[in-house]
Amino acid sequence: MLTQMKKENIMNKEIKNTAQQVPSPTGRVREGLALKICGMKYEDNIAQTASLQPDYLGFIFYEDTPRHFDTKIPEISEDIKKVGVFVNAEIGTIVEKVNEFKLDAVQLHGEESPYFCSILRSTSLVTRPIELIKVFSVQEGFNFEVLEQYENVCDYYLFDTKGKLPGGNGYTFDWSLLNDYSSTKPFFLSGGIGLDQLDDIKKFKDSDASKYCYAIDVNSKFESEPGLKNTSILREFINKLKGKKTMNYNVDEKGYYGEFGGAFIPEMLYPNVEELRQNYLKVMAEPDFQNEFNQLLKDYVGRPSPLYFAKRLSEKYNAKIYLKREDLNHTGAHKINNTIGQILMAKRLGKTRIIAETGAGQHGVATATVCALMGLECIVYMGEIDIARQAPNVARMKMLGTTVVPALSGSRTLKDATNEAIRDWINNPVNTHYIIGSAIGPHPYPDMVTRFQAVVSEEIKWQLREQEGRENPDYVVACIGGGSNAAGTYYHYLHEPDVGIIAVEAAGLGVDSGESAATSVLGKEGIIHGCKTLLMQTKDGQITEPYSISAGLDYPGVGPMHAHLCKTGRAEFMSITDDEAMTAGLELCKLEGIIPAIETSHALAIFGQKEFQQDDVVVVSLSGRGDKDLENYIDYFKI
Amino acid sequence: MNRINQKLQEDKKLLSIYFTAGYPKIDDTVSIIQDLEKNGVDMIEIGLPFSDPLADGPTIQDSSTAALKNGMTTELLFNQLKGIRETVTIPLIIMGYFNPMFQYGVEPFCQKCQELGIDGLIIPDLPVDVYHEQYQAIFEKYGLINVFLITPQTSEERIRYIDSISGGFIYMVSSASTTGAKSGFGDEQTEYFERIAKMNLKNPQVIGFGISNNDTFTQATKHAKGAIIGSAFVKHITKNGAESLNTFVKSILN
Repeated sequence: MLTQMKKENIMNKEIKNTAQQVPSPTGRVREGLALKICGMKYEDNIAQTASLQPDYLGFIFYEDTPRHFDTKIPEISEDIKKVGVFVNAEIGTIVEKVNEFKLDAVQLHGEESPYFCSILRSTSLVTRPIELIKVFSVQEGFNFEVLEQYENVCDYYLFDTKGKLPGGNGYTFDWSLLNDYSSTKPFFLSGGIGLDQLDDIKKFKDSDASKYCYAIDVNSKFESEPGLKNTSILREFINKLKGKKTMNYNVDEKGYYGEFGGAFIPEMLYPNVEELRQNYLKVMAEPDFQNEFNQLLKDYVGRPSPLYFAKRLSEKYNAKIYLKREDLNHTGAHKINNTIGQILMAKRLGKTRIIAETGAGQHGVATATVCALMGLECIVYMGEIDIARQAPNVARMKMLGTTVVPALSGSRTLKDATNEAIRDWINNPVNTHYIIGSAIGPHPYPDMVTRFQAVVSEEIKWQLREQEGRENPDYVVACIGGGSNAAGTYYHYLHEPDVGIIAVEAAGLGVDSGESAATSVLGKEGIIHGCKTLLMQTKDGQITEPYSISAGLDYPGVGPMHAHLCKTGRAEFMSITDDEAMTAGLELCKLEGIIPAIETSHALAIFGQKEFQQDDVVVVSLSGRGDKDLENYIDYFKI
Repeated sequence: MNRINQKLQEDKKLLSIYFTAGYPKIDDTVSIIQDLEKNGVDMIEIGLPFSDPLADGPTIQDSSTAALKNGMTTELLFNQLKGIRETVTIPLIIMGYFNPMFQYGVEPFCQKCQELGIDGLIIPDLPVDVYHEQYQAIFEKYGLINVFLITPQTSEERIRYIDSISGGFIYMVSSASTTGAKSGFGDEQTEYFERIAKMNLKNPQVIGFGISNNDTFTQATKHAKGAIIGSAFVKHITKNGAESLNTFVKSILN
């Protein structure tokens, strides 16, 4: 959702008039149906609703309705088309509104004639191209012959329930009437659609009547009052409309993934976290935020990162293996996607001081980098033991102008560095933003980090389409510590049941050895760093120390989204030992000429352990490069 | 009536002391409680140690780590507290983080507290809305008062909400900080204390964080019903041993 870049060129060619195969105008892939949310009225509510990313938002320029639009449209994503709805208005009025509000489409809800439509369509007075949607109200029957004369003068039809009012009557018509639809023009289905109609929509989608249905149009069933949309019900509807399964793998309104997540924070942190919760979606939806984010990802990070077909690895393991090259990003890992997003968020929230935690130093370096870029003060907490064993990254952070503060409490590693960062935030509640590096922490952090990392799977989709002619691989694979690279790799596939999700944890010296970080096997539900998730702990609820050769996977918990994926069985969790990972890492060096980070090597080690079919397309997130691990590789292989 | 409510009705400023159970020595718990009461302390917070105490500064982190090393567990603390009501009458509150309680089971934990004569709980990382939706009924069933924190950053609206959910006192964190971080109060704190006092909340307020001596205790209780001392007390017994706690309490009250 956050990057446009290349995919637009690919997708825009085939927009109109090929219903069902019609991708939404932005190129997002849907289950055949686009979504229009109509009857928007209030500025804040428009921004909130826009954050749900519908394809169209409708504004009614007709005075005799409580949903009459008479305020301002806030800046919303350019991906969302703004539709002006008119009832027997004059051409001049329509033109004026189109130009004033930069409308992308006009919906005619009255008795406008084909001639009227053709004039509107050909007028040179509008400053931008518009789509024309002509509405027809359906009661007990409908004479589809009426459509013939409109065939060449509009882009879409919209079928609404005939009622007392022109729209917004709140009940449905008999959709089976559309079996007699005689045109091939794509149409919008409207009239009284709410959560209760989801089953009917599903049946409708499976029937011939929906052959040319392009979009669903919703309005009054999602309102707290006329014109005020309830975004939580809308989100539920969208998730269910998009998902083939009813299970929701995204975060819910209260910050939970199933039973995991939430915000278990001391009151001292409440104002900071609440400020972020209230603003993060709104800020992320702002066009200037998206533009700046996309620009930096492109010019500074070097995105899109290649999706590389690993030929020799594929031959060896008898599957089509693609590597998503996050290792080629600036600073050498996926971590920078999130820190770019969060530094822009921090700036918009007026924060002047940045804190972060780091284990191996990758997230610390990525945070130090963006702070240098933006000229903000940066303090990174790092366990005293990690400082000693990751000297090059400590030096990098210092060169970038960051203060590295040793965490001296507990085991003096990542968990304790996180505790210290949280304590810093408690002590500096006003001017400081905490950039969490993984998909963990109190809500909204797991969701926010996931959305910033979602660029990974967004790119995989169009890159795979280019190379394989399809967007969905058979499997996506990523290693998991807290789970940020995994969250980004899975995000756009969570609700695609034909895509298998494989999560690879660090087994350390072996799951039963007592020296492991395989949280899905060893963890129990509990609370760590502000969220409820799977967590390695004693019977008494004390958090235990994990172990892995890879500092990035050496975390006693896992992000709440992953805990949910694990518990529901949506993802298959595998555990890989130090030895298996090191061997797989060296194998990639020899077969493909790529030295991976040890974290990433865990994901690569599933080949040889899990059987794939010859034609299986398997995309592995190559989350980081191995430069930082040379010392480890040298020691291990006695190079 | 719950012992906390009874105590709050007394016409005096209250001194509440926090200590970490199982520290300095594993078996100090009961004698510390008894000695604190003997020396005139009004209320006690028994700290159930946790491996990752997010809201605490170095002093209580270290005492917690040491207590865990000494072998303190939830079960052991409950065993130590068996029969405590035969010798102690002042209110006793268990203060700890949510995960150990969650693992023990919230209902069994509350039930055990009632059996032992515990009057309330302070759980900094259990948010007020989660408590309200999921656990309030259980706490009330076992006669336990849950105490919530407010800080100088807490909005008036939220303070009113917390006040409406609370049934004992409100724990006023003196400044934006972890425990034991500040010494002495400035104008900012005084203004905050006065602002809250003027709100006429239904629950009395007890101030904690940053109270370490007679001076800060007096300042805090000028605007509030009482004050809580944690880090300064833990520091004292670290240095002088639990036997010498009377000199600390005297220095506060005189």
